[in-house]
Amino acid sequence: MSEVISVVKRQGGFQYSVDESNIQSDDDEDIYMSDDGNARTGKMDTGNNDTESGSQIVTPGELVTDDPIWMRGHGTYFLDNMTYSSVAGTVSRVNRLLSVIPLKSRYSPETGDHIVGRIAEVGNKRWRVDIGGKQHAVLMLGSVNLPGGILRRKSESDELQMRSFLKEGDLLNAEVQSLFQDGSASLHTRSLKYGKLRNGMFCQVPSSLIVRAKNHTHNLPGNITVVLGVNGYIWLRKTSQMDITRDAPPGGSTGGGSSTSSGQNSTNGPTGAVSLNPSITRLEEESSWQIYSDENDPSITANIRKTISRYANVIKALAYCEIGITQERIISAYEVSMAYPNVGSLIDRETMESIGNDVLNGEKMRGNAM
Amino acid sequence: MSRLEIYSPEGLRLDGRRWNELRRFECSINTHSHASDGSSYLEQGNNKVITLVKGPKEPTLRSQMDTEKAILKISVNITQFSKFERSKSSHKNERRVLEMQTALIRTFEKNVMLNIYPRTLIDIEVHVLQQDGGIMGSLINGITLALIDAGIAMYDYISGVSIGLYDTTPLLDVNSLEENAMSSVTLGVVGKSEKLSLLLVEDKIPLDRLETVLAIGIAGAHRVRDLMDEELRKHAEKRVANASSK
Amino acid sequence: MVLSVAEKSYLYDSLASQPLIRPDGRLHTQFRPIEIFTDFLPSSNGSSRIIASDGSECIVSIKSKVVDHTVETDLLQVDINIAGERDDSMIVETLTSLLHKVLTSEDGIDVKKLQLTKKYSFKIFVDVLIISTYSYPASLISMGIYCALNSTWLPKIISAFDDLEVAELPTFHDYDLVKLDVKSPLIFVLAIVGDNIFLDPASNESEVANNGLIITWSPQGGKVISPVKTIALNDTFIKGFNPILLKKGIKLVEENASSVAQALETL
Repeated sequence: MSEVISVVKRQGGFQYSVDESNIQSDDDEDIYMSDDGNARTGKMDTGNNDTESGSQIVTPGELVTDDPIWMRGHGTYFLDNMTYSSVAGTVSRVNRLLSVIPLKSRYSPETGDHIVGRIAEVGNKRWRVDIGGKQHAVLMLGSVNLPGGILRRKSESDELQMRSFLKEGDLLNAEVQSLFQDGSASLHTRSLKYGKLRNGMFCQVPSSLIVRAKNHTHNLPGNITVVLGVNGYIWLRKTSQMDITRDAPPGGSTGGGSSTSSGQNSTNGPTGAVSLNPSITRLEEESSWQIYSDENDPSITANIRKTISRYANVIKALAYCEIGITQERIISAYEVSMAYPNVGSLIDRETMESIGNDVLNGEKMRGNAM
Repeated sequence: MSRLEIYSPEGLRLDGRRWNELRRFECSINTHSHASDGSSYLEQGNNKVITLVKGPKEPTLRSQMDTEKAILKISVNITQFSKFERSKSSHKNERRVLEMQTALIRTFEKNVMLNIYPRTLIDIEVHVLQQDGGIMGSLINGITLALIDAGIAMYDYISGVSIGLYDTTPLLDVNSLEENAMSSVTLGVVGKSEKLSLLLVEDKIPLDRLETVLAIGIAGAHRVRDLMDEELRKHAEKRVANASSK
Repeated sequence: MVLSVAEKSYLYDSLASQPLIRPDGRLHTQFRPIEIFTDFLPSSNGSSRIIASDGSECIVSIKSKVVDHTVETDLLQVDINIAGERDDSMIVETLTSLLHKVLTSEDGIDVKKLQLTKKYSFKIFVDVLIISTYSYPASLISMGIYCALNSTWLPKIISAFDDLEVAELPTFHDYDLVKLDVKSPLIFVLAIVGDNIFLDPASNESEVANNGLIITWSPQGGKVISPVKTIALNDTFIKGFNPILLKKGIKLVEENASSVAQALETL
């Protein structure tokens, strides 16, 4: 019989106690006043602040270098010729650029990033999209595919009908087209691989765990497709026709590109002749009102739903263990999780740790450890 | 029955400390990762302070937005159970608390590089679970730690400490009994320098004693800075080691 | 929590299906893991901090004061503070009155345990601070209060019980304390989607619930007590439900509440 509730309890402290080494802290130390009024403490400062891995850790106000030759990047500031750190993080010296990478920060968009975002606001000829960054991203009306195809003229009624395309709360995947002066992003969905998301579930992980890669949409065993937004927003859905053909091996030149539009016949013939990427001529044929539909596929089975829940839980387990999230690791974690037939048991802390360990150990054994 | 001696002839205070000793100082960061971008939990003597930093993020109100720099918002929640005697009424809109918030904003707005986060809001939420004197100093320390944990760029640490003046003897890091028995000063010191980001004097202090009080306060704040830095480095090293093993 | 129409539709279909499929795969009786810390506020008589797996956090402090119970009728005061909410907001006021009702009801806290002498009793102040919450926090708060009261120590009285003729206040031992022997009732929140009813709804589940139930359970009698009422967990999917589900919900609580209480007890 499964446990109703798992409780971890500790008495006598606000949180788990810090490391043993903190107990022998010398914070009752006296402050000595020397003649010139400057204080000296009885303890020597720790000299070397390099970590085992060799990267230097700096904290705000710390001098990084006094060499004027460096170009100063993010996380630093300079006074006279001295470069100081403005964040707590690791020093990065790349070519002539000296910067400090903070230990933790919000997602910072870069041009070309494939992200998942949620509409926060509908504005004047634009949408403002929450991508988990310091500011909302902007999606201009002219940067989306309007039903009817590429040659469709933008009309005034489009501006008034913006909510019929995307409204507050809608989830979509998009690409960062460019950045504004202040670092905020401008998005576009001008490809059939981008657009409104449906047939599945959302989950979120810290953006630092998603590595920038060539492809962010992956098909997973069990008929599930995952979209790993670089910003840490993740979408799990039932694999669609388009997902299947996207991953299909390159075949003949003709053949139907797949889409959700009803008029188009998508051929998945025995030769597997399909087009890999919808070409620009396809866009006008395939853009239809369905791309902005809120309706899910009615044939999502209970099995698909359970599989999606399982994937969501293993992704959360990887995030809990602070493991970088890739297609291989998700599949590996999924396979490891099959040892627990009850999907709900995967939310337990110990189980999440065990799955994380198994994934890492599996990699080490296969020689994939980084 | 012994009388309470604020400062005994042997040089001992009520809690056994000497004039230049700080109270027990323990801090940790990243305590509330789900609910914030940066967080800290700080115990300074019997002061227990939780600080949450949310941001830089999209401002909730358009009117709050500044196109040139980030807006800094600080809200201090002094709980009704923070002192030994439970407070009858909530401190939410109390003038003293509003003044504390303003003073804290002034303390940090020149130190945090607000101009590199235009059009955003940095929302700082502080909860005082328990207080026993020198609370303003603890608030400053908690906020410094949480801002650094959030990865928000700043010029340097700001460390807070209080100094009481018992007749002619300065007493570093006063507790509430001492605070009620004498005049005290709170300092917000920038990093390892002698620059002050905050000088808070709400009681009468003889001017000729001020310099000594400031000197001991600055030294004490430097020590606090070192303690905060030590914890931050330890945390950073653990994180980097953790990340590199994956 | 903001969700898209497609997301809500997917969640609703999953939760309304037979048997129900929860987004994190939990059983309809399964709670999410929680962490509890107690005894960390020396200036309070009792304290607890409870953290749920979605990051919701609630801190409870218990403080006491000696009062004349012939004058003071209410020996239990509850104060709730939700970070970011005004004190006069609806959520704060409804939660405060709910918790007060639960604690002061007949099957709630036994105020006889607070009595010191013929004239005086302890008055208990329950202060709740919610640092963050992503769904209706009544259950989390009640568990926090349960653990805080369970670890509350009050001063030990050394003066006489019969003090009707005496003018002085009771006197107490210099350092000995007595553990407060009361058990707070627990509040359970249930969600109803279609013909399904389940415990501990997460924030995304609450967003698509057709209705919600608050069912209170007393560890004293090991039974469901009042208040039992419906609550709206969102404002878009609300509709009526079959009363059979009310019976089902009460049964779910009766079957699982004692394991929850037991889990909160164990150290």
